[in-house]
Amino acid sequence: MLIVKIIAVLLISASVGILYRIPRKLLLYVSFVGMMAWLIMYTTMIFGANGILADFLASVAVGVIAEILARILRKPATIFIIPGFIPLVPGGDAYMTMLYMVEGNYVYGVAKGMQTILTAGAIAFGIFVSSTLFRLIKNYNLESCSTDVRKS
Amino acid sequence: MTISLEQMVSLAALAGEVMLKNGAETYRIEETMDHMAEACGASTVESFVIPTGVFLTVTDELGHTLTVMRRVRERTINLDRISKVNELSRSLVAQRMGYEDAKGILTSISKERTGFSLLPSMVASGVIGGGTAVLQNALFFEIVAAFAAAMVVRYIAHIVSKLHGIQFSFEFLGGMAVALCGVLLHSIWPHLRPDAVIIGGIMPLVPGVAITNAIRDVIAGDLLSGLSRGLEAALTAAAVAMGVVIILAFKV
Repeated sequence: MLIVKIIAVLLISASVGILYRIPRKLLLYVSFVGMMAWLIMYTTMIFGANGILADFLASVAVGVIAEILARILRKPATIFIIPGFIPLVPGGDAYMTMLYMVEGNYVYGVAKGMQTILTAGAIAFGIFVSSTLFRLIKNYNLESCSTDVRKS
Repeated sequence: MTISLEQMVSLAALAGEVMLKNGAETYRIEETMDHMAEACGASTVESFVIPTGVFLTVTDELGHTLTVMRRVRERTINLDRISKVNELSRSLVAQRMGYEDAKGILTSISKERTGFSLLPSMVASGVIGGGTAVLQNALFFEIVAAFAAAMVVRYIAHIVSKLHGIQFSFEFLGGMAVALCGVLLHSIWPHLRPDAVIIGGIMPLVPGVAITNAIRDVIAGDLLSGLSRGLEAALTAAAVAMGVVIILAFKV
């Protein structure tokens, strides 16, 4: 069953790439990013982490892999980030929120809605963390380059 | 090398306009315009980009200044064009390409049809829906139904983009169509739970580019663009949810 799911994630990431019209040569890389992210989420949840932490770790991984690939292939990092995090989106929680709210179970609905928002926030914050990290590294390199020029 | 001020400005502004129309981050557009104008021989360049427009001021070596503004009304998502403009600006800065070549390539990038036609993108959308249903441990027929629902979403996108629909009308109609698919199939065939169909169907509606760009704009310090793109993402999610909720409310 795990193999089927991995194949599904690979196909999802590649399809998101097709929908957002990324360069065709990069579809394989993109599905790799998506698979890595989903596997990290899956394994951390098996080891007992809750969904929010698992999604956070996975989306940090998406950001890091995407920025590394962007440096190697000289493409914008966005190309790799978007298809990478789509398989992590909490669609099931969002649907359950809507269903509870419609049925009038506001207590469950608000609880599930909070979980959805926190999970989505964790994904966003994961990308935030990794992008900030790479921006700091880039600025550090620029800074050290410019001081070298001034010394010489 | 005699590139007039007007030529510099029109090249850089066209590059910025193409990138903004196709969904690039704000700081990337500003940096690209700065680099391109400087590569053409401008002495100072100031650029300002918001999600609905591009502003550019260029001063040449003689001290003449020219400011242009390009208003961008319709935005699509085409990451291929962004990476092409990015490469173009890199080779212009590295002096591997002259002004005339750059202008020609940029014009062809802005006009060419890239990506896939309707049917392959419908299939891609369907694969997103079906794959998401697989991740939800759905049964075979639910996966097929999710595939079909997600394909319908893409077809609606095609129609709405032809009609130049109002913002968020596509997401709202898409959410409604998906929920309608799920509920109708459930009423025809009670074994089939609508959950996986709806979850799979709304996946292609997730505003991936808006979310990513909002985060990256805020990090880069472009708070205005970051906030407005964050609002766009939130409103898109709300529109999808409202579309689904309306149909589910009829069912209950």
